[in-house]
Amino acid sequence: MSIQFQDRTANNLLVLTIILMSANLYTIFFVAPMVPEQTWAQKIFYIHVPIAWTGFLSYFIVMVAGILFLLKKDPFWDRLGLAAAEIGTLFIVLVLITGPIWATPIWGRPWVWEPRLTTTLILFLIYVGYFMLRKFGGHPERVARYAAVLGIMAFIDVPLIFYSVKFWAPQFQLHPQVEMGQQPDGIFYPFLFSMITFTILNILMLRIRVRILNFHHQIITNNV
Amino acid sequence: MFTILLKKELFVEFRNKEVVLSMLAFGVAVLLIFSFSLSGDPKINHEMAPGLFWTLVILSSSLGLHRLFGQEKDFDAFASLIAAPIDRGTLYLAKWVSGIMFLTVTEFLIIMPFFLFLGLSLPITILPGIGIVLLGNLGIVAVGVIVSGLAMRAKMSAVLLPVLLFPLITPLLIACVKATIGWYHVLPFSQWQFWLLIMATYVVIFSLAGYIFFDHITEE
Repeated sequence: MSIQFQDRTANNLLVLTIILMSANLYTIFFVAPMVPEQTWAQKIFYIHVPIAWTGFLSYFIVMVAGILFLLKKDPFWDRLGLAAAEIGTLFIVLVLITGPIWATPIWGRPWVWEPRLTTTLILFLIYVGYFMLRKFGGHPERVARYAAVLGIMAFIDVPLIFYSVKFWAPQFQLHPQVEMGQQPDGIFYPFLFSMITFTILNILMLRIRVRILNFHHQIITNNV
Repeated sequence: MFTILLKKELFVEFRNKEVVLSMLAFGVAVLLIFSFSLSGDPKINHEMAPGLFWTLVILSSSLGLHRLFGQEKDFDAFASLIAAPIDRGTLYLAKWVSGIMFLTVTEFLIIMPFFLFLGLSLPITILPGIGIVLLGNLGIVAVGVIVSGLAMRAKMSAVLLPVLLFPLITPLLIACVKATIGWYHVLPFSQWQFWLLIMATYVVIFSLAGYIFFDHITEE
């Protein structure tokens, strides 16, 4: 069995992502209006919110892949779960970096125990354990099952973490409660465009990573 | 079958007292650290008591949960156990109930030194506190048995268990501390009943998850 390295869909997606991302950055910096009380700090929200969305979307994919792996025992779902976990964690780390960058000038300090930020941090810590389990869990087939269970448990813990942190310290409910649908078009459309762009980037990264994991699997099982 | 499995867990523990003794010894050591690292002012200790108590419980329980599968792992008996025609969900239930018993016994033994060393006054009513502690134990062990099962055969199981357990039980810890504050500081029930709801939800979700997933965790 030979490995098919060429992936035209991924190549097309890559070109599309480069075009969209360039347009996205141009829109954020030169088209979207300044918010008077926040000035440049607000610009990070066009990046921060979409990467948070893609991070949580990836963790949702980990959960779905975990359920399907436990039901069907097809290793593809394990590889999809691992790829989504890696990409999700990358985005979640970026959320944890961009959040404090915005918070420092606006709230006057980089970190407060705000529910969304705290939920993100706790999820990140759960996924640190997830990767440790992947690394040190023992036999690969067993680790795949363990990782699927942990991926499901991590996601069902999210609403409980969010609501417990929300009511734990009401004084920290500082996160902007904005309805994007009620924002002026000048803010709403660039924001929506950024969300779509990062979602496509996420799909592209997921596709490439799953292919790499498939190759890796083929090589270690000597099917090449 | 559940009764037989539970009896087995209790009998093994009664014989070597491994889980309870390890939790108790570790708990007293942590309590000593608390006593010397805090100001020694009973007023401040009174304010911090609920948080300190649950910190103590969670740190100690991580040690006990690690030993929950210790016997099976050390003597390679787990393969024999799961080879028996036993529903894995029942196996989880037996581990869960026995774990709750061990944790409750440890808490019962450690609660007096806790009040004594930190110079705390005894609460006016005891029963609601017992209820909160039991509900907290149900949640801690519900997740703890799953995590212990996941970490059991890993290379760094002693490290992996707390790394997995602590973030997963964050919502339960918050709810336990808040409910205990409400009870210990005699706040109106309406101010802390919400936290009991969070605890109960957590217990239901994760005990069901454990019952369902234990089959996949224990599969060879």
